[in-house]
Amino acid sequence: MSTPTNVSSGLSSGSIASGTVVAERPTDAAATDVPTLRLTDLRTTFSSRGLKVAAVRGVDLDLRPGEITVLLGESGSGKSVTAKSVMRLYGGYASITGKAELEGRDLLTMSRSEILAVRGADVALVPQDPTAALDPLRRIGAQMIEVLRLHKAVPNKAAAKARALELLDIVGIPDPPRVFRSFPHELSGGMRQRAVIAIAVSCDPKVLIADEPTTALDVTVQAQILDLFLSLVKRLQSAVLLVTHDVGVAREVGDRVGVMYAGRIVEYGPAAEVLDNPRHPYTRALLDSMPTPEVARGDLRSITGQPPVSGQLPPGCAFHPRCPSCFAPCPDVDPELVDAGPGRLAACHLLTAADVPVTLAHSAPGGDR
Amino acid sequence: MTVLHPTLDEPDDAVDVHPSAPSAEPVPKVTRKRKRKVSRRRLGWPARIAGGVCALFFLAAIFAPLITPYGPLDGDRSQRLLPFFSGDHLLGTDGQGRDVFTRIVFGARISLMTGLVPVLVAGLIGTTLGLVAGLGGRRTNTGVMRTLDVFYAFPAVLLAIAIAAALGSGASNAIIALSVILIPPIARLAESEVARIRSADFMEAARVSGASFWSIAVRHVLPNAAPAIVVYCTALVGLSIVYAAGLGFLGLGVAPPQAEWGLMVNDLRQFTFSAPAISLVPAVVILIVSVAFNVFGDGLRDLLDVRSETH
Amino acid sequence: MIRFMLRRLGLAIPTLIGVSMVIFVTIRIIPGDPVASLLGPTGSPEARVALTKQLGLDQPIPVQYVKWVGKVLQGDLGRSISKQTSALPYVWDAFRNTLTLSGFAAILAIVGGISLGMIAATARRKLTSGLSSAISLFAISAPQYSVGLILIVYLAAGQGWFPTGGMQNPTGDGGFGDLLHHLWLPAIAAGLVPMGIIARMVRSSMLDAMSADFVESLRARGIPERKVRWHAFHNTIPSVLTIAGLQVGYLLGGVIFVEVVFSWPGLGLAVYQSITQRDLPIIQAGVLLSALAFVVVNLIVDTLHGIIDPRIRR
Repeated sequence: MSTPTNVSSGLSSGSIASGTVVAERPTDAAATDVPTLRLTDLRTTFSSRGLKVAAVRGVDLDLRPGEITVLLGESGSGKSVTAKSVMRLYGGYASITGKAELEGRDLLTMSRSEILAVRGADVALVPQDPTAALDPLRRIGAQMIEVLRLHKAVPNKAAAKARALELLDIVGIPDPPRVFRSFPHELSGGMRQRAVIAIAVSCDPKVLIADEPTTALDVTVQAQILDLFLSLVKRLQSAVLLVTHDVGVAREVGDRVGVMYAGRIVEYGPAAEVLDNPRHPYTRALLDSMPTPEVARGDLRSITGQPPVSGQLPPGCAFHPRCPSCFAPCPDVDPELVDAGPGRLAACHLLTAADVPVTLAHSAPGGDR
Repeated sequence: MTVLHPTLDEPDDAVDVHPSAPSAEPVPKVTRKRKRKVSRRRLGWPARIAGGVCALFFLAAIFAPLITPYGPLDGDRSQRLLPFFSGDHLLGTDGQGRDVFTRIVFGARISLMTGLVPVLVAGLIGTTLGLVAGLGGRRTNTGVMRTLDVFYAFPAVLLAIAIAAALGSGASNAIIALSVILIPPIARLAESEVARIRSADFMEAARVSGASFWSIAVRHVLPNAAPAIVVYCTALVGLSIVYAAGLGFLGLGVAPPQAEWGLMVNDLRQFTFSAPAISLVPAVVILIVSVAFNVFGDGLRDLLDVRSETH
Repeated sequence: MIRFMLRRLGLAIPTLIGVSMVIFVTIRIIPGDPVASLLGPTGSPEARVALTKQLGLDQPIPVQYVKWVGKVLQGDLGRSISKQTSALPYVWDAFRNTLTLSGFAAILAIVGGISLGMIAATARRKLTSGLSSAISLFAISAPQYSVGLILIVYLAAGQGWFPTGGMQNPTGDGGFGDLLHHLWLPAIAAGLVPMGIIARMVRSSMLDAMSADFVESLRARGIPERKVRWHAFHNTIPSVLTIAGLQVGYLLGGVIFVEVVFSWPGLGLAVYQSITQRDLPIIQAGVLLSALAFVVVNLIVDTLHGIIDPRIRR
């Protein structure tokens, strides 16, 4: 878990740009409570051939500078769709409603040219598979310069090249000039992901969206990339939305975590608290299905049943057919997110129903930690 | 490819019939399932119209003497180059006063046959070669496929012309020449289909159960490779008809005065100035048939969801 | 890159050997006894033996093949029976005219095919993309001789907008403008099928490229749609190039019909005239030359492929 030394040396100032952005962005995240990105009732519905599929069903989320917010969930839970909806990466076949305000400007209602100016500059994406994220026929350097020139981050071509080399150095690439000249297929997976990250941070984004940034990588490389990610965020003070299905990743880098199920956030709060002391049965089940040093592999509990298909959600709470603590109101009423401790929210009838004993501990005997 | 290999995608589905005979059963199961799926989807309207046009030409060829009062060789030189719709000469008459419609209808017999037969011959030989190359050892495969590659170095039509010219004119020689040039692409497709199928699970089961080479080839591989090959061959029929007429046009098909479309094109093109409409009739007929076969083949390919490189 | 080219060149050699064998076989399959047909019914047995020896037909087939290849390598492709001249120089002159026509047709096919395919892949309106796809399918199905005759009747014979045939105007200046005027119709007739095939290839690989993951990444970087499409198009070039290279073969074959229809003084016309005269050396020389041109074009295509796609050169 060692950060490559040239990363820290390259990040001398508060920003990886030459210091200009520092003044606008307070380095102390605690001093301000203004969210960089605020999602309000975000809903994404795909329609094809008259069939409507609600992939995201009302997500509220605040992203703050320098903070990593993790969206955790199984595949199909809507976490990636949430991330991409913010950037409006779905064409005409998705309808996105609600608000996604970047420092007060709603990304969802701005014009096409405005959103193009925001993408890659103010809001950047680190996609899941670095192999598929790069144009296979163009050199890394050309792809970096394209973005730098597009968003006018540099005055001329020479400056763009210098900046690109600097960025490659910052993301811990040992031989920037060589990588600059390389084609994507000539690099290892880890190197490629570093190059992709270099492109993503090249314009000092205020919001960085990472969609399973380490899933496609070798386990040994995963840790290095996560480390790099953490150090970059610290220096850049970007607000980060990290999408993952990996509880380990969420625990390691997350400041806050939102657990998603069937297109909704079912539990939200500081990462350590949510993951150590879950209040929602789904979060509990998710944790129990992950191997930890304390739980031997044989004792792993899988969640019974299948995650719902987005087109055919069960009535009431979407989790109730699989929930070990399901009781009277669950099949009929979809629970609201309610207060579940300081800074925490959860959507479960167990939290509001006074006459039902809280049986979370009983429901998951193997999960005591 | 889901349509062709439902067992790979839906493993639960292949269990319900005769669980006692695991190695032999998946194949008929696959076939039945595929047919079910096809019947649920339907051919689009352009393909259906095109299929109708093709059928019409075949019927006309078969019942030629019933639909026209003339014979293909009956000509009256005093009646030459009559325009369309003169008397009962629907499409006029040619330079020797023969009824053009009659000659088109009778010409369909030879033109459709010299188009269709090479595809059938090449389909049989090409599929066999593909099976041998795909199921044989590495050496067999290399030998067969490299040999076929040589034929790809020739412009196909030119090779057909060279072969037909060497053999001399005549319908059967044209058919041989066209068969030769159609074998390589069909064999290539068959080989790639076989390569895909042999990696399937049920093939492993068949091999382990000790089935012989030809038993595996005929009972397991062929039924799964057949749809793609048949669709590809259907798509080749249009091309083959065009080539066959082309050979006729160059004088490498049947000899005049027989009625054959390519020959008619060449015979009538001397009248582009004096009777432009009539001079175009056989050319346009070949164009229509070619378009109809290709649209139909395309529709069939979409229906069966077979991806293949035509030409 | 040079090593890559040399390796491709090496791969072409077995192909060329195979090509020569196939042509040799077409010479040998001629039905009937060439000796008997040369001597006529009155030839004595002694004359038969002498002529068989003279033609080298008494030697084993492999020896005959090697001797034939030796001759071919020296440019000796036999003598034309009807023209009473060496086959190669005669065919070579015609072949240059064929290359002019095929080259122009190839340009039309590539430009038209790429435009049509791009429209079919990216048009927003279903009608536009459907129409482009329909035109491609029609173009693929259009036999060269049919299209040629239709063009002659409607654009040349009736209106006199274009010449009905030939390569040069006897009263014209014989310059490039005159040539171009004669080129348009035959080039369209020859290029239509390759255009349709290229259009379909462009369409399908463009649709593939536009749904590739890197396209989403490009969008996420704020790159405008027009430029995103350009990137996607760049990624389709290798496969389109390969298909276009294969079409050259189709073009060299189909151009025969066009040359006959338009009396273009090329290889096709020479082959056509040789068929009626059963002048086989001309036909064989023509086929060999075309196959050679096809192999060379595909070598060039492979090289270009290597330049554009760094992944295939190693």
